[in-house]
Amino acid sequence: MKRRQFITLAGIGTGLLILPPILYTTSPSLRKYASKLILDELYYLKINPKEVEQYVEDYFNASGNNMMVNLKWKSYYFLRLNAEKSNQILELIKYFLLSSDFFIHKTDESKPVSYLGLYNPYKSPIPNPYSFVLYPSETPNT
Amino acid sequence: MKYDHYDLIVVGTGFASTFFLKKYLEKNRSVKKILVLERGHLFPHAERLKIKKGEHSDFSKFDEPWEKAIINKNPEKRWPFTTGFGGCSNCWWGCTPRFMPSDFKMKTLFGVADDWPVSYEDLDRYYYEAEELMSISGPEDTPFPRKGKYPLPPHNFTAVDKILNEKYGNKYISQPTARASRSTKGRNACFANSTCDICPANAKFTVENSSIGVYENEQIELVYGAQVYSLLTAGGIARKVNYVKDGKDCQISGEVIILGANPIFNTNILLNSGDKNRFTGKGFGEQLGMQVLIYLDNLKNTGGSTWVNANGYMLYDGTHRKDYAACLIETNNAPYYIRLERGKWLNMASFRMLFEDLPLDSNYITTTENRLVPEVNFNTRSDYTLKAIENMKKTLPDILSCLPVEKLKYLDPFPNEGHIIGGTRMGLSAADSVVDKNMIHHQYRNVFVLGAGSFTTFSASNPTLTLAALSLYSADNSF
Repeated sequence: MKRRQFITLAGIGTGLLILPPILYTTSPSLRKYASKLILDELYYLKINPKEVEQYVEDYFNASGNNMMVNLKWKSYYFLRLNAEKSNQILELIKYFLLSSDFFIHKTDESKPVSYLGLYNPYKSPIPNPYSFVLYPSETPNT
Repeated sequence: MKYDHYDLIVVGTGFASTFFLKKYLEKNRSVKKILVLERGHLFPHAERLKIKKGEHSDFSKFDEPWEKAIINKNPEKRWPFTTGFGGCSNCWWGCTPRFMPSDFKMKTLFGVADDWPVSYEDLDRYYYEAEELMSISGPEDTPFPRKGKYPLPPHNFTAVDKILNEKYGNKYISQPTARASRSTKGRNACFANSTCDICPANAKFTVENSSIGVYENEQIELVYGAQVYSLLTAGGIARKVNYVKDGKDCQISGEVIILGANPIFNTNILLNSGDKNRFTGKGFGEQLGMQVLIYLDNLKNTGGSTWVNANGYMLYDGTHRKDYAACLIETNNAPYYIRLERGKWLNMASFRMLFEDLPLDSNYITTTENRLVPEVNFNTRSDYTLKAIENMKKTLPDILSCLPVEKLKYLDPFPNEGHIIGGTRMGLSAADSVVDKNMIHHQYRNVFVLGAGSFTTFSASNPTLTLAALSLYSADNSF
């Protein structure tokens, strides 16, 4: 980890004192940063930003939200953390893909990716991306 | 109550009680008075689904959080279970491998813990019967002795499973499971949703969808909301059952008492009854489970048709069990383990490694001032188990050498496996155990103590099929 990033992360851990306070008061909302993180990570897919924003709205409404959560996500973006470095970002982006038609289209990058509602096996039409529903077996087991 | 005295009083309506009653009713042609006391209520699957969908259900008042039913002294360790009609058949995930023959002979073969007083051969026919009653899906070739086809065909392999099955043969098989591979009586086919606690497709066997027909039998009187906390004993016999219903103390007399609650509550009932056996409540625990993520190069792990697609036995049996524990591999088909690297989204396999543990005295169940609420003390994992984890980490790369593995990631052990075992272990006499091979209490000879609490040792395999087979065995050999 680079020293500068380490210092900044340490600041987050000790009360968010090191990032300039102006960042928290003048920047757009947390949800915008979460959306940016998704679009940055999945830059190679055809995703309508409005649909990502809707996903982020649903995601945070479902998982709870408060000021500390806002600050945390804003920090992720300013620190240039990505899915490889942060489990929470990884979860956010993974869950977006699971909540879209990306796997229904068998990961075809050429097709536009649409958000279908939060992934939920009890409510949404999206199957397990690994499953036989999308990849039927050609040779049954014995 | 219809009567003052019953031929049989059964506590609980989960797997243990249901399979016992199935066999008991088959064997006893004369009319019997049978009372079943269930602490919870019927909370139908359709109503549980409503709650999962965020809808209102009038039955939600019957949902009893397990955390409130016991005092758990170790918050790092969890013991999820479901109360109410059908017990843990409502929340189990439907994995039904048989135990290996060696699991019953740990002392003889490996010099570890104790042998069971029953053998694999003793249970064999009851395994078949339980598999039939649950319409198990599974393969023909298994690592444990078994002839013929399972009631339903096996689930589909993934691309990864096919490679491992080709290399390891019957040491890597489609998992025998109560998640139906085809629609069957009362159940739909599994859609690999991987949220099996409340199955979205109603593909998993439960007591409610079982069509076993036990509780519809006119000899049985089923009473809900009756929480049993002790037995009134005299002269080595249990005479009456004490329970609370609607906030009132109640008592009913019976000829034979069947404790079919989970191991925590069976133990609580015995200890509240004055059971002085030194093993009662001791040696409680479950297997240790941990996940290994297998990052694959240019190989999608697709095509599986259920949650646990396969079982691997490559780390299970052998002379190593003299030194460290058996490990059963469960190959998961879980949607949340996807990757984000471009082009590699589905190049991931995940193994859940299940390690057997030993019944240690330091892990125990005891009573509290509240007679209805037992206390669970889980303090120690055995060195036998911990050593097996280290061995697995050394050995797994070689086992997986037939796959294009990029890297392995070992996750922390899970806080629970949902396999509550021990507390009323089975053995030859009161000098080594609580119950005999028919699960009859050594001291109270008209009390049966059913379920996984009776397991002499834990095995690495999921316990439900074996506890169901033991219930059939007990009823068949006792009446």
